[in-house]
Amino acid sequence: MLVTARLRPPDRVVEVADVRRVADLLARLEVLPGAVLVIRDGALLTSQDELRDGDKVEVRFAISGGG
Amino acid sequence: MAMRCKRCRGTAVMEVRRHNAAFCRDCFLHYVGQQVTRAIAKYRMAGHTDRVLVAVSGGKDSLALWDLLLELGYQADGLYLSLGIGAYSERSKAVCQEFAEARGATLLVHDLAGEHGYTIPEAAGKGGRSSCGVCGLSKRYVFNRAALDGGYDVVCTGHNLDDEAAVLFGNTLRWDTAAMARQFPVLEATRPGLVKKVKPLYRVAERETAAYCVLKGIDYVVEECPLVAGNTQMRHKETLNQMEEAAPGTKHSFLFGYLDRAAALLKVADDADLTECARCGMTTQAPEDPASEAVCAFCRSKARLVKTLPIVEVASR
Repeated sequence: MLVTARLRPPDRVVEVADVRRVADLLARLEVLPGAVLVIRDGALLTSQDELRDGDKVEVRFAISGGG
Repeated sequence: MAMRCKRCRGTAVMEVRRHNAAFCRDCFLHYVGQQVTRAIAKYRMAGHTDRVLVAVSGGKDSLALWDLLLELGYQADGLYLSLGIGAYSERSKAVCQEFAEARGATLLVHDLAGEHGYTIPEAAGKGGRSSCGVCGLSKRYVFNRAALDGGYDVVCTGHNLDDEAAVLFGNTLRWDTAAMARQFPVLEATRPGLVKKVKPLYRVAERETAAYCVLKGIDYVVEECPLVAGNTQMRHKETLNQMEEAAPGTKHSFLFGYLDRAAALLKVADDADLTECARCGMTTQAPEDPASEAVCAFCRSKARLVKTLPIVEVASR
């Protein structure tokens, strides 16, 4: 099972094998769940949502430094 | 098993761990609207007859805020300030213009270089302020002035719970009590020359404003400002997010505890004496020595910056 994750910003694509849920993917990517949104086909996923082989997801960082 | 919405038991799309909740699309949008309504009511930020100016950058927070205010029936115009950060600023402006056009809303566009003779990249590192420092100073000045000139009652900014917690964290680390005293969801117009400033998103986390935009189909600039990398506020946010991960609600308790129990104590200590800037006429802090000229931070910074820029460029503007 292989999931393609596009992390942005900046913009980086990685392939991750053998992850069953979104929480597993984020743990593997060493990304804090509270700092990102995970989007598949335009829809938001929760940490418990299951991933499928061949999924392409966006891991979008929601933390900005302006203000 | 998929998470269920706390409100309607439908399939959840968004978790809000600090409230031990998850929501479906519609209930999440309802939740965000409720948080903003509550913020506006608690601090009497704006009324429906007020003319509201929303400072928009093209990012998730300010566009979510503008959308929410329009949805809640406020007379909200947008204000975009072009900072001259190359393609990033161009894309940001285009996003704001498209947002306004799609809703038939009014967008005021100001340009830092055209109106004041410098861009943020030109200003970075010059005049004793970081790029973020001079950017913040320029925005505060232009927003206030544009609101006064346009006859607006209140300026709304997209500062969210994470922004406010990170700023409070930084101020606390330095025990900067004067800055802490000014950090509040509402700053009243205490004298002519000042416009009321409010932060209706202070109850909403930035992950939630991003989710709001995704769920509402709002196109926002996802890319980070190229000048912001490694800034202090980002580092503070990272630290707070690590703590939040271990104990959800930490940021909320830190900020709300301050607002509810400590802010009033510091307000008493904030006795800044205000006067008019001798150069631009806007409100500024009175100098300690009454014999010296009162010049606001923006005019001082601008004078230092313009001196450092090539004469040809200054003269051409």
